[in-house]
Amino acid sequence: MSTKHTIAAEKFLQNSEKVTRHDQTFWSVRVKRDAQSQELPEWEELREAASQIKKHTITHLAEYLEKFEKNATKNGAIVHWAKDADEYNEIVMDILHKHQVKKVVKSKSMLTEECHLNDHLIKHGIDVVETDLGERILQMMHLAPSHIVMPAIHITREQVGRCFEDYKISPEVGNYDPTYLTRCARYHLRDNFMTADCGMTGGNFGIAETGDIVVCTNEGNADMSTSIPKLHIVSMGLEKLIPDYKAMGVFHRLLARCGTGQSTTVYTSHFRGPRPGGEMHIILVDNGRSKILGNEEHWQTLKCMRCGACMNTCPVYRRTGGYSYTYFIPGPIGINLGMLKDPDENYHNLPACSLCCSCDNVCPAKVDLSSQIYRWRQGLDGMGHADPMKKFMSKGMQVLFESPGLYTTALKFAPIANHLPKFITEIKLNGWAQGREMPVFAKQSFHELWKKGKVKA
Amino acid sequence: MSTRDEILDNLRKNVRETYDMPDLGFKKRIFEDPVKAFIETTTTTAGAKLMEIKPNDDINEKIHEAYPDAKIISSNVPGIKADRNPDTVAEAQDLDGTDVGVIMGGVACAENGCIWIEQTMKEKAICFISECLIVIVSKKNIVSNMHEAYEHIQFNEKYNFGTFISGPSKTADIEQSLVYGAQAARGLTVFLTE
Ligand code: SF4
Ligand code: SF4
Repeated sequence: MSTKHTIAAEKFLQNSEKVTRHDQTFWSVRVKRDAQSQELPEWEELREAASQIKKHTITHLAEYLEKFEKNATKNGAIVHWAKDADEYNEIVMDILHKHQVKKVVKSKSMLTEECHLNDHLIKHGIDVVETDLGERILQMMHLAPSHIVMPAIHITREQVGRCFEDYKISPEVGNYDPTYLTRCARYHLRDNFMTADCGMTGGNFGIAETGDIVVCTNEGNADMSTSIPKLHIVSMGLEKLIPDYKAMGVFHRLLARCGTGQSTTVYTSHFRGPRPGGEMHIILVDNGRSKILGNEEHWQTLKCMRCGACMNTCPVYRRTGGYSYTYFIPGPIGINLGMLKDPDENYHNLPACSLCCSCDNVCPAKVDLSSQIYRWRQGLDGMGHADPMKKFMSKGMQVLFESPGLYTTALKFAPIANHLPKFITEIKLNGWAQGREMPVFAKQSFHELWKKGKVKA
Repeated sequence: MSTRDEILDNLRKNVRETYDMPDLGFKKRIFEDPVKAFIETTTTTAGAKLMEIKPNDDINEKIHEAYPDAKIISSNVPGIKADRNPDTVAEAQDLDGTDVGVIMGGVACAENGCIWIEQTMKEKAICFISECLIVIVSKKNIVSNMHEAYEHIQFNEKYNFGTFISGPSKTADIEQSLVYGAQAARGLTVFLTE
């Protein structure tokens, strides 16, 4: 059985040059992340702290939200609550109407993507300009993000250059130099900042104790968006709340190191109230989050801070690209969030995982990503999507991993697979095997080599 | 029931087990010489320049030395000869075209070059719209890591805004090539005072 992911992945894989570039790009970010983590002796303590702070906050979220609301209101912000995407979009439109807004400058927010805000605004005649360079490129090309932190990294400089020529923001036809193109975008976006009536941002963190909204960017576009227009609208998922500055110190040290391999983003801005003479609105969005909290097996997805590290490391994501997944958030966390949002549409992504556990090891909040994917697969038959072959394989893996004796035996016999006829090991009966050759097992297993003293520690 | 109460109600209903806030007292990396580490980070990974300012230096001359071609300087810092003042311009837009903005920094962090900028001017746009930025940092305000930095940040109640800035605006959105000056300041120079 093929799923939408395997079919799309097959297409992506046809352009081997593109696959290699994609793979190497994200791997290089993973390498940078490793270097950052090795610089800090307290790295693992930071991750553990982040995980526990999130667990604590999420399981006391009602109290923290009330505290946040109280403090933000005291600071002069106006707090709104939205139970779903429709209510959220309406609240935004209401605010914009009240202020007779014609043009909105937006800094990157996955939540607005989740709620399809842009379509809603455009339908109501609002001019929406994305200001993160990557997002702006995608908006001009009518494409969706393929990664949550580096949304347009799959687009080549030539494509960007030609797009800018079409939009008349690149006067030098044929100049595809990234510095030149970035400069063109700078002037183009400046014009938009100058004339916008409203700036919209997401929120990387909300701080209950002070009412701050914290936004992290490298370009400074969230700051440009909120320094010129007088109206600022923040959209934030409920789970972005943290207790206080002590917690913020922990998350600050992890976010950029994990996401892009930098020790910090260039800007970490704390918005604690409206500009003089302006208005600041904060919309707290549920859209399924409170329900996830009640899901015993998957509530820990709420610990996610959307850093993107799990995508960068995932061998399947790196080699199949963001568009192969059916959910707008791809990669390990996207597989899980997609299942929580709409399993009938997104079970297609479940095969996009080799259970290598690399994602678990890089996640700064210790979300148990691969175990969750495994649990979804086990639950597939209950949903009527189980494929007997997959069930068999998953069960087999479970038995193997759960009985160490059998695992050792299996490893010893694994080299036999090297001599099996190719049509068996490359079996195309099912979605799992498609596009995956059987791994070639070493003639002597690691265990055996170790015992014989051939491996030196 | 209002949406707010409905959400809070669901959140309370759906919690099964609660967890305590962890102890954050674990040992954090500190530098033997935070000033030296700050200079190193600022001038390498953060991509900024740095000039040490001695007590007898003329700061306006130093600004000229840092940016000899600058025509329009904006600042509200006392003693700086500025063409525009973020406190007195009518609109934020009036600061567009600023070649060099000069602002005061607060606590600064050695591990990543972050400098806390407390908004103390009417138009914070000066911190972002200027082509280049000069941030004045005192050596006394340099700490090792972000845990310490967060203990020291200040907010002006009138403006309710502050930001950590580490170097010039950056992007790598086009084929991962690092470019300075995507949207905000294209260059940043730290004036390090005693
Ligand atoms: S466990 Fe699965 S989802 Fe996670 S990195 Fe490995 S292949 Fe990707
Ligand atoms: S699951 Fe973890 S690694 Fe993946 S985006 Fe979220 S916080 Fe980052």
